[in-house]
Formats: sequence, C-alpha cells, structure tokens
Amino acid sequence: MAAFTAILRKDLRLELRSGQSTIALVALALLVLVVLVFALDPAVARGPETAAGALWVALVFSGMLGATRVLTAESENGCIRGLLLSPADRAGLYAAKLAAAFIFMMVAEAAGVVMMVLFFNLEFDAAMMRVAPVLALGALGFASLATLLAAITSRARASDLMLPLLAVPMYVPALIAGVRASAAALSGAPFSAARDWIGILIAFDVLFVTAGYLLFEHVIAEE
Amino acid sequence: MARKIVTSLGVLSLILVIAALYMVFEYVPTEADEGIVQRIFYFHVPCAWIAFMAFGLVAVAGIFYLWLGGQIWDDLGHGAAETGMLFCTLMLISGSLWARPMWGTWWTWDSRLTSTFILWLLYGGYLMLRVMIDDSRQVARFAAVIGIVAALDVPVIILSVRLWRTIHPAVLVTRQGGHGLEDPRMVATLLVSLAAITVTFAWLFLVRFAELRMGTRLEALARGIALAEVRTGDI
Repeated sequence: MAAFTAILRKDLRLELRSGQSTIALVALALLVLVVLVFALDPAVARGPETAAGALWVALVFSGMLGATRVLTAESENGCIRGLLLSPADRAGLYAAKLAAAFIFMMVAEAAGVVMMVLFFNLEFDAAMMRVAPVLALGALGFASLATLLAAITSRARASDLMLPLLAVPMYVPALIAGVRASAAALSGAPFSAARDWIGILIAFDVLFVTAGYLLFEHVIAEE
Repeated sequence: MARKIVTSLGVLSLILVIAALYMVFEYVPTEADEGIVQRIFYFHVPCAWIAFMAFGLVAVAGIFYLWLGGQIWDDLGHGAAETGMLFCTLMLISGSLWARPMWGTWWTWDSRLTSTFILWLLYGGYLMLRVMIDDSRQVARFAAVIGIVAALDVPVIILSVRLWRTIHPAVLVTRQGGHGLEDPRMVATLLVSLAAITVTFAWLFLVRFAELRMGTRLEALARGIALAEVRTGDI
C-alpha cells in the first residue's frame, strides 16, 4: 500500500509539473472528435447515439496513449529496474500504474465530454452527470487492460502497433456496453434501459482488474 | 513412437475425411428448407467446436506454464493457437459461403458471427505478438498471460454481443443448425464429420507440436555448445 501511494504520488507530481501526458491525451481525444465530426454526415449523425459512439472512440484512443505513457516513462531512463529491485510488490506497482492511467484518461474524458456537447449540439444538463459514471467504468476497464498489455507490448518490436492489436479486441465487450449505456444516459432514457450494460461494464472491470493484479508480476519481471 | 502416432493419426484422418465427404455428398438427405447448401453445416459446426476447444487449450497451457514452468507448456499453447486459428478461419469462411445463398449476404453482424470474428482477431493478435518478441523465455510468459486473459474475456464477449444483437432489431432471422436434425442420417453424418475434423486437428496439432519441441531442443543444444566453447576458451 505504501508503494502504491508513493508511486502514484510520484506519477501525479511529475504530471502536474510537466503536464505532458494529459495535454497529449486531451489533444488526441479532441482530434478524434474532430475527425469523427468530419467523417460522419452532419445531416444524419447529430444526436446522443453518435455522440456516445464518438466519445468512446476518443476514450479508446486516449487510453491507449495513456497506458503507454505511464509505463514508458519508467523504462525510458531505467527507473523500472529500480522499482523492480525495491521491496515494493509488483501488484502495488500495477495498481499505481493503473490508477495513474485511469486519472489521465478521466482528465481527457472530461475534456472530451465538453467538446462532445459543443460539437454534437447537446446541452449541458443532468445527462452529463449520468454519463460520468459510465465513462469512469469504461476508463477503469481500459486502464486495467492496457496497463497489463502495455507491459507486454513495450518489450515487443513495433510496440505501438501491438498494443491496439491486442487491446481493442479484448475491450470489445466494454466498448459495446459503454456506448449503449452512454447513449441511454445522453438520451435521457430511464436507468433500467442501461442496467444490463452497466452490469457488463462492472463485470469487465472486476475481471480485468483482478486478472491484471494477479498476472502483472509475470509480465513485468525481467529475465 | 511419437512419429508412429503422428503417422497413424494422419492415415486415420485421411480415412475419416473421405468417409465424411462421402456421407456429406451422397449419404445424407438434403435438408428440406435450405436445400443443398445446408451440407456446409457438416463442415462448419465441427470447425467451430474445434476452434473453441483449441483456444481453451491455449488458456490451460498458459495456466500450466505460469504454474509449473517448462517450455513444453508453451509449445503446447503455441501449437494449439496456430491450429485453432486455422479452424477458426475455416469456420468463418465456410460460414460466409453458407450465409451468401441463405441470408443473401456474405456477412451480417449476427451475434455468433460477431463473437467468432472478435475471437479470431484476439488470437490473431496473440500469434502476431509471438512473432514480434525475440526473447523466447519472454514470449512464453507473455503468451501465457495473453492466452489466459483472452479466454477470460470470451464469455464476456459472447454475453455482450448477444445482448447487443437482441436490442437491435434482427436484420435476418437466423436458422441455427443443430436443432433441426430430424433425420438420424443427419446426426450420423455430423458425428462422422466431427470425428474427421477432430482427428485432423489432432494430427495437424501434433505435427506442429513435435516441430516446436524439436526447435526447443535445438535451441538448448545450441546454448550448450556455446557455453562449452566459452568454457574451453575457443572463443
């Protein structure tokens, strides 16, 4: 637990002073939304359904970047070796990296929601409050999955290519559930319309946080 | 001994495939609603079963690798993933060929099609990762972890995709085979086809597995020689 707070505090302090990761993530989420506005026919695609879809595409892209940034920051100057030599357990390291990636993603998502409202002509109303927990669940799932996978793909050739190739198919259930639940939240449907989807999101999060927590020591160890 | 098993499996697979082909084209009656195309079913369904079984095997091999260690588990998972990928691809192709005359489209986002396709993407990524990492010990650990995580993901994928399709209006009413086998000859043909595909899978898998084992042994030998050379001062 001490290792968890120490590593997370270090990551957050680094981020507060440089701002590199969050700025990159926010910029990427913004760009994805702009691309989608151009890609979709404005006459047809202006509504909660498309807005939710666009937001989740932005979430996947920013999550990919976030998880990679959080882990490569350690290996760039060999800090990861020091962390592995320290008595801090691997699971604590995983939890800290997951938490950092999650926080960065949520910052990007907050910016993404504001942009989505402006670009897709929605209103700033109670729907925003309803969509926030759905996004948080989605970001947690993606961060847990991508942190585990990024530790693997960072050791591969063409690592920028390998992370999306592995992470996106695995993330499909949460993506489907998240888009449907967000669309329901944005269109003001009652909670019962989204209950099953939120259940799938929670199941996905529990599954991948647990799997990552248990399996991280096998992927981070150096031979 | 091992070679004999592989050879006899190969011969058995040949016999069974010929028998299955005879039954599919000559013996089994044509299904009333779908006509001649329905015969793809006897190839398609066994491929699906085998693909799922092979991917299960990948996860089990991964668990044993992380638990007990030993390159043999990694070779097992590697072989199962490659062979399973082959049958998963065959299932998608045969399903597409069946869908075109029956549903009027090569592809539809039906729940089973979608789940299978995502599974195919998942294990495609798994196999690509194996190529992209050079260190063989690292490959084994990473592949084990991904094999386990992917297998955990499969039920969630199937559940979410099914829910996704039921909420959307179904574009096509799918007639899932397997429930409507009224004729006992159909059941017999399915069973023989299943046996043929299973034995073919086992044969291909063992050939690949034996090859991977040999590769592992060669690598160990090469390491031993290099070590001996260092010790005797040849280098």
